[in-house]
Amino acid sequence: MRAADSAGRPIPSSVLSLGAQPLVSANAHAAPAHGGHEEHHHYTTTGLDSRKIAIWAFIGSECMLFASLISTYLIYKGRSIVGPFPHTAWTNPQTGQVMKPILNIPVTSASTFVLLMSSLAMVLALAAVENKDKPLPAGAGLGDRMLASSKLWLWATCLLGAGFLAFQAYEFTSFVHEGLTIKTNLFGSTFFTLTGFHGAHVTAGVIWLGTLLAIDYKRGLGPKDALNVDIAALYWHFVDVVWIAIFTLLYLIPD
Amino acid sequence: MATVAASPTYASHATGEKEGIMAWLTTTDHKKIGTLYLHTSLFFFIFGGLEAVLMRWQLMKPNMTVVTADQFNQLFTMHGTTMVFLAIMPLSAAFFNYLIPLQLGARDVAFPRLNAFSYWVYLFGGLFITIPIFGWMAPNGGWFAYAPLSGRTYSPGINMDFWVLGIQILGVSSLAAAFNFATTVINLRAPGMNLMRMPMFTWMSFVTQFLIILAFPVITIALVFLQFDRFFGTNFYQVSAGADPLLWQHLFWVFGHPEVYILILPAFGLVSEVLPTNSKKPLFGYPVMAYSGILIGFLGFGVWAHHMFAVGMGPIGDTVFSLTTMLIAIPTGVKIFNWIFTMWGGSIRFTAAMKFAIGLIALFTIGGISGISHSSPPSDLQQTDTYYIVAHFHYVLFGGAIMGIFSGIYHYFPKMYGRYMNETLGTWHFWLNFIAMNLTFFPMHFSGMLGMPRRIYTYDANQGWDTFNMISTAGAFLLMPATLIFIYNFFSSKKGGEPAPPNAWDAATLEWSIPSPPPEYNFAKIPVVHSRYPLWDLTHPERTKDVPHTDAGMVHTGEHDVVDMHIETETFTAKQLGIPMPSATIKPFWTALGMVIMFTGLLMMPHNKTAGYAGIGVGAAMLVGFLYAWLTTPLEEHH
Amino acid sequence: MTRNFRPRQLVRAALPALLLLAIAACGGNYPNSTFLPNTEFNRDLTATWNTMMFWGTIVFVVVEVILIVAIVRYRRRPGTPEPKHVHGNTLMEITWTVLPLVVLGIIAVPTVRYIWKYQAPAPADALKVQVIGHQWWWEFKYPQYNVSTANEVYLQAGRAVEFELRTVDVIHSFWIPALGGKRDLINNKTNILWFTPDSTGEQSFIGSCNEYCGDSHANMRFRAYTVNAANFESWARHQAANAVFPPPPPAATEAATAVPAANTGATQPAPAPAAAPSTGFEFPREQMGAHTLPSTPIPASLKFNEALLANGDATRGFETYSRSLCIGCHTIRGNPASRSPIGPDLTHLASRHTIAAGLFPNDAKHLAYWIKNAVAMKPGAKMQVVGKGEIDAVTKKPVAAGGLTDEQIADIVAYLRTLK
Ligand code: HEA
Ligand code: HEA
Ligand code: HEC
Ligand code: CUA
Ligand SMILES: [Cu+2]
Repeated sequence: MRAADSAGRPIPSSVLSLGAQPLVSANAHAAPAHGGHEEHHHYTTTGLDSRKIAIWAFIGSECMLFASLISTYLIYKGRSIVGPFPHTAWTNPQTGQVMKPILNIPVTSASTFVLLMSSLAMVLALAAVENKDKPLPAGAGLGDRMLASSKLWLWATCLLGAGFLAFQAYEFTSFVHEGLTIKTNLFGSTFFTLTGFHGAHVTAGVIWLGTLLAIDYKRGLGPKDALNVDIAALYWHFVDVVWIAIFTLLYLIPD
Repeated sequence: MATVAASPTYASHATGEKEGIMAWLTTTDHKKIGTLYLHTSLFFFIFGGLEAVLMRWQLMKPNMTVVTADQFNQLFTMHGTTMVFLAIMPLSAAFFNYLIPLQLGARDVAFPRLNAFSYWVYLFGGLFITIPIFGWMAPNGGWFAYAPLSGRTYSPGINMDFWVLGIQILGVSSLAAAFNFATTVINLRAPGMNLMRMPMFTWMSFVTQFLIILAFPVITIALVFLQFDRFFGTNFYQVSAGADPLLWQHLFWVFGHPEVYILILPAFGLVSEVLPTNSKKPLFGYPVMAYSGILIGFLGFGVWAHHMFAVGMGPIGDTVFSLTTMLIAIPTGVKIFNWIFTMWGGSIRFTAAMKFAIGLIALFTIGGISGISHSSPPSDLQQTDTYYIVAHFHYVLFGGAIMGIFSGIYHYFPKMYGRYMNETLGTWHFWLNFIAMNLTFFPMHFSGMLGMPRRIYTYDANQGWDTFNMISTAGAFLLMPATLIFIYNFFSSKKGGEPAPPNAWDAATLEWSIPSPPPEYNFAKIPVVHSRYPLWDLTHPERTKDVPHTDAGMVHTGEHDVVDMHIETETFTAKQLGIPMPSATIKPFWTALGMVIMFTGLLMMPHNKTAGYAGIGVGAAMLVGFLYAWLTTPLEEHH
Repeated sequence: MTRNFRPRQLVRAALPALLLLAIAACGGNYPNSTFLPNTEFNRDLTATWNTMMFWGTIVFVVVEVILIVAIVRYRRRPGTPEPKHVHGNTLMEITWTVLPLVVLGIIAVPTVRYIWKYQAPAPADALKVQVIGHQWWWEFKYPQYNVSTANEVYLQAGRAVEFELRTVDVIHSFWIPALGGKRDLINNKTNILWFTPDSTGEQSFIGSCNEYCGDSHANMRFRAYTVNAANFESWARHQAANAVFPPPPPAATEAATAVPAANTGATQPAPAPAAAPSTGFEFPREQMGAHTLPSTPIPASLKFNEALLANGDATRGFETYSRSLCIGCHTIRGNPASRSPIGPDLTHLASRHTIAAGLFPNDAKHLAYWIKNAVAMKPGAKMQVVGKGEIDAVTKKPVAAGGLTDEQIADIVAYLRTLK
C-alpha cells in the first residue's frame, strides 16, 4: 500500500485507517487498485464478471421478444384469408391455381440439424479456448490436436451458422417464387417476421464469432479470453434453442 | 439546451481533461448522467404539463375553439406519451443513476459507457418524438395507439411514424439502462450488503429493472409489427387480411400494465427512504416491503386485460382478469400500512420531502381505490374510457409517482448539490400542488360518472359537465404557479441554498456517508456493510440495537466515524488515490446519434427515398463505426 | 408573506371549494348520469358500484384517519424522546393482508355474478338492432323491420333490445350512459350488448362513441329514444317504407299522425313499400331533453346566404340532388338515382331531429351549411365538400366543377326537408 498519492502528497491516515472500521469498513478486495495498478480486477458481489450477468439479463429479455413473436404466429395460425398455407393446399378461387403446402419440412430438418451441430462446435471452441494453456498430452494424435484448436471450432461454428442462413435464404427465395411474400397473408407476415428475426439473430451471432476469430488470428485466444467466448457461446446456444421451439411449433405441428 | 447548462458544484477534477460542455457530452460518471436525466426529464415534465394546460383550457367550457380537433388529439397523445416515457420514467432513471451506486457502496454502475449511451438515446429519442408538435405534425393516435386507427390506412400522415419510431428508440434506452442497473444491483453491492440489507429504494428499482427487461420486448414486437405494416405493407393489424386488432391491444397492455408499475415502484422506493429518515425510525416491516414490491411486479404481468373489459372477451376472461387485478390491492395495501406505521410512534420532522411523501400516501390511496373500482367489469363498463379513468390514473401518477419524485428531489437535493432547497418555498409548493392537484383531478370522477367520455376535444352544453370541467381547468391553471415555485426553488438553491452537511437529514444509508456532492469515485474505500442501517450503527448505536440482519458481535465505534473520514478525502482526486475511473468518452454520444439518424432515415422513406437511404446509410455507418471504436477502447485508462 | 400566514392555511381556503364541488355534484341536473335506474342492467352495475363505493369509502377513511392521527400525534416537538425502534409486527401485517382480502372477497361476489348475468344470451323476442360504426357516425339497422337509419335509435320501452355491434373502419365504442355500460365495435368480430329499458317511459337519451377513433371522435354522438309499443310500430313501419316524392298532400299526413294508435295491431314488418303510411311516429321535439338538443355553433368562417332558404324549391332540389355528387354516397329509397351505401341513409332524413351524428339540429339552416361544407362543420368529416368555391379537404383547392351554388343548396335542402 502506498501512503502517498501520485503527486507525492501524503494521504491522511484516516482514509487508510478505514480498514480498521468495523461497521462500515474497507475490505481488502474492495479497493484493489488502491495498492497499485492491477489489471481490471474489480470486486463483484457474485464473483462473476458483470458482463456474464448482463448477458443473462439480455437473454431473459430476448425470451420475451421471441415469446411475443411466436405467440403472434400461433394466434394467427389458420386465420389467413388467402393462401398459400403452411401445411395445407389452397386453390385460388379466382385463377383456379392450386398451391401446395408451402413448408418444406425435409429441407428445414436438415438446416435444423446444421444449426444444432453448430452448438456442438461452439462447445468445443469454448473448451479449446479454456484449455489453451494446458500442454497436449504426450503422443497426442490428430484428434487431440483438432480438439485443442479454437480456430477450427470457431470456423466450424461460423460456417455451420452461415450454412443455416444459406438454407434460410433458399427457403425465403423459393417461398417468394411460389407466391408467398411478407405481404401476401397473415401467414406470410408472421412467418417471415418470426423466422427473419431469428435469422437476424443468427447473422449477428456469426458476425460476433467472426470478430472472435479475427482476434484469434491476431493474437490468439487464451484462457483470459474465455469469458468473452463464453458470453458469445451463451448467446449462440440461446439462438439455437429458440430455433428448436420455432421448428417444433411452426414446422412440425400441422394446422 | 437548458438541460445541460447546469454544472455541479464539485470540479470535474478527476478525469480532468474535459471542461464545460464537453465534460457533459463525454461523461461516464453515473452522478453526472443522473443530473442530465434529472434536468432533461424536468424539462419534458413542464412541456407535457403545458400541453395538459392547453387541453384544459380548451375544455374549460362547452364548444370552445382554443385548438382544433386534430391539434387536441395531438396534445393528449403527446401529453400522455411525454409524461409516461419522457418525464416519469427518466425522472426515475435520474434517481437510479444517482442513487443506486451510492446506496450499494459502488464506484459506478456496471457499464458506465452504456449508461451514457442510454441517456443520449433518451435525449435524442425525446426530441425526435416531441419536435413535430411545433409544426402540429405530432402523433395523434392516443398514447396506446390502438390498431387499426394507428395503421397507414387510417393514419396516413407522418404523425404516427414519429410515434412508432420514437417509442422504439426510447425502448432501446430503457432496455440498455435496465440491463445495466440490474447487473449493478446483482454484482456491485459492497461487501456485506446482502439483499436483505439493501436500501428500499434500490430494492424497488431492482424490481423495476426486471419489469422493464420483461415488458419492453413485448412493446418492441408490437411496434415492429406496426412499423412493418406502415412501412412494408404487412398484415399484422390489417383487418381486411383477417387480422385481429385485439392483437395490438393484448401486446400493448402486456407491456402497458407492467409499465404503470415501472412508473410507480421507484416513487414507492423514494418515499420508503424519506419516511423512516424523517420519522427517526426504521422502515416498518422491511422484508414485507421488499416482497410486496416483488409481488406487485409479478402480479402486474397477469392483469393486462383489465384495460379491455369492453372488448367482449367473454365471461371467463372477464372473471379471471378481474380477480387477478383485485389481488394487487393486497401487496399495495401492505405498503400503505407499513408506511403509516413507520411514522407511528416516530418523531416526525415535516420537511418538504416528508410532506410530499405523506401526500403520496394520502393521494395514491384514492387512486388505488378507484383502480379497484375499475377492476370489477360490471363497474368498469360504466367507467372505461371516461373521465373517471382519467381521474384514476392521475391520482396514481400525479398523486403517486410525481409526489414521490418531488419528495425524492427535495430529499436528495442536498446530496446532489451540497445545499438544501428552500423549505418555505418547498412548503408552498407542496400545499399549492396538493390543492391544485385535487382541484384538477377530483372533479373528473364526477364528470366521468356523469357520462363524459375521455379524449374529446369538445362537448355540448347542457350535459351536466360544465361545472366540473371549469373546476378542473382552474386547478390545472393553479398547477402552473405551483410548479414554477418548484422550478425557481430548484435553480436558486443550487447556487444560494443553505449549505448541507454530508448527512443532511441524519439518514442511515451509505450515500449519506460521503461528501455532498460526492467525489467522482464516491467512496475512497469501498465500505463493508454489517447491517441494514449502517450510518445509524455508527452515529446512533442506540438505534441499532435490534436491527435484523445485523452481523453478530459487531463492535461499536468511538471517535472516528465514516462520515468524517470520507469528507477528508474530498480534496483528493481519483488519480491521487489511485482509483481507476472510467475514462470520459464521446463515443456513446455519437453512437446514439447515429442510431437516431438511422431511424430518421426510415421515417423519410415513404416521403423521399434518397433522403431515406442517405439517413439510414449515414446513421448505420455512424452506429457501427462508433460502436466498434467504443468496444475496442478499454474502459479505464491506466495511470 | 406575513409571519403567521402559513401555506397550510390554503387548505382552509380550499375546503369551501371542495364543499362547493360536492354540493354541485349532488344538486345539479345530470341527464347522462351513469346511475339512472333505467334498465336492470344498469341497476346491476350501479349495485356493484355501490358495493365498491361503500367498501372503498371505508378503506379510504381508515387509511386517511390513521395517517392523520399518526402525523398529528407523532410530529416532532422540542423534547420529543428518541422513538423506539420497531422493525415490524407480524400480527399487524397479517391483519392488513387478511382484512383487504376479505373486502375484495365481498366485492368479488357481485362482480362475478353480474359478469355472467349480463353476458348471458338476450331473450329471444328482443328487438334486434345492428349498430355499424363509421368514422364518425352511426348506422342503425333493424333486421326485423327492414329499417335502416342513422344517428338516432328508437327503442321500445319495456322490450329487451339486443345490439349487434360491428364497425366498417376503426374501433368505436357504443354507450348510452343512462341505460347501461358500453361495448366496443371491433373489426372482424361481432359484439353483443343487450338490456331492457323497463322504467324509462318515453324519453330521449344521449349516446356517444367512447373509443378514440380519430379526428371527430368527440363528434360521434347519437340519440336514443325509448317509446311505447304502438309508437315504435308506427315509427318502424314508416321508416321501412320508401320515400315518396313529391309527398302526398298535407291532409293525408295529418290524418296519419293524428291516429298513430291505428297501427298498433301490426307486429310484422311493413309488407309492401307502396302501401306504407306517408308518415309515422316521430319522437316529439317538445319532449326531447335539453341535453339532446344540440347547440354546436356554426363556424364563423363558413358563410351561407340564409335568405335563399325561404325560396328553396323541392322539385328543383330533387333534380339537382339526383344529378350531383350526393348520389355517389347516399341512399334515398324511392329515389332510384340515389342508392350508395357510403354515407347515412337519407330516406327519412326529415324525421330525425339531428344531423351529423348529433352535432347539429336538423333544420333548413344547418342542413344548408352542412351541405355547403361538411368538413368545416365537422372536423375530418368523410363527406365531400360540395359548395362551389369552398376549399376541398382532399385536393386543398376550391371546389369548381360539380360544385353547388347557394341557390342549388337551398333547393336541395327544400327537397331533403320533404323526406319525412
Ligand atoms: C402509476 C400508475 C398506476 C398504478 C399504480 C395503477 C394501479 C392500479 N390500477 Fe390503474 N391505470 C393506470 C395507472 C396506474 N394504475 C393508467 C395510466 C391507466 C389508464 C391507461 C389508459 O387507458 O390510458 C390505468 C387504468 C386502469 C384500469 C383500466 C380502466 C379502463 O380503461 O377501463 C384498471 C382496471 O382494472 C386499473 C386498475 C388498477 C388497479 C386495481 C390498481 C392497483 O394497483 C391499485 C392498488 C392500490 C390500492 C387498492 C390502494 C391501497 C390499498 C389499501 C389501502 C388496501 C385496502 C384496499 C382495498 C381492500 C380496496 N387501472
Ligand atoms: C405521469 C403522468 C401524467 C401527469 C403528471 C399528468 C399531468 C396532468 N394531466 Fe394528464 N395524462 C396522462 C399522464 C399524466 N398527466 C396520460 C397517460 C394521459 C392519457 C393520454 C391519452 O389519452 O392518450 C393523460 C390525459 C390527460 C387528460 C385527458 C385528455 C383527454 O382524454 O382528452 C387531461 C385532461 O384534463 C390531463 C390533464 C393533466 C393535467 C392538468 C396535468 C397537470 O398535473 C400538469 C401539471 C404541470 C404543469 C402545469 C406544468 C408546469 C408548467 C409551468 C411551471 C410553466 C412553466 C412555464 C414556462 C417554462 C414558460 N391529462
Ligand atoms: C364522399 C361522400 C359523400 C358525398 C359526395 C355526399 N355525402 Fe352527405 N354524407 C356523407 C357522410 C360520410 C356523412 C356522415 C358524416 C358525419 O356525420 O360524420 C354524410 C352526411 C350527410 C347528411 C347528414 C345525415 C345525418 O343524418 O347525419 C346529409 C343531410 C347529407 N350528407 C347530404 C348530402 C348531400 C345533399 C350531398 C350532395 C350535395 C352529399 N351529402 C354528398 C358522405 C357524402
Ligand atoms: Cu368512434 Cu370514437
Ligand atoms: Cu393496468
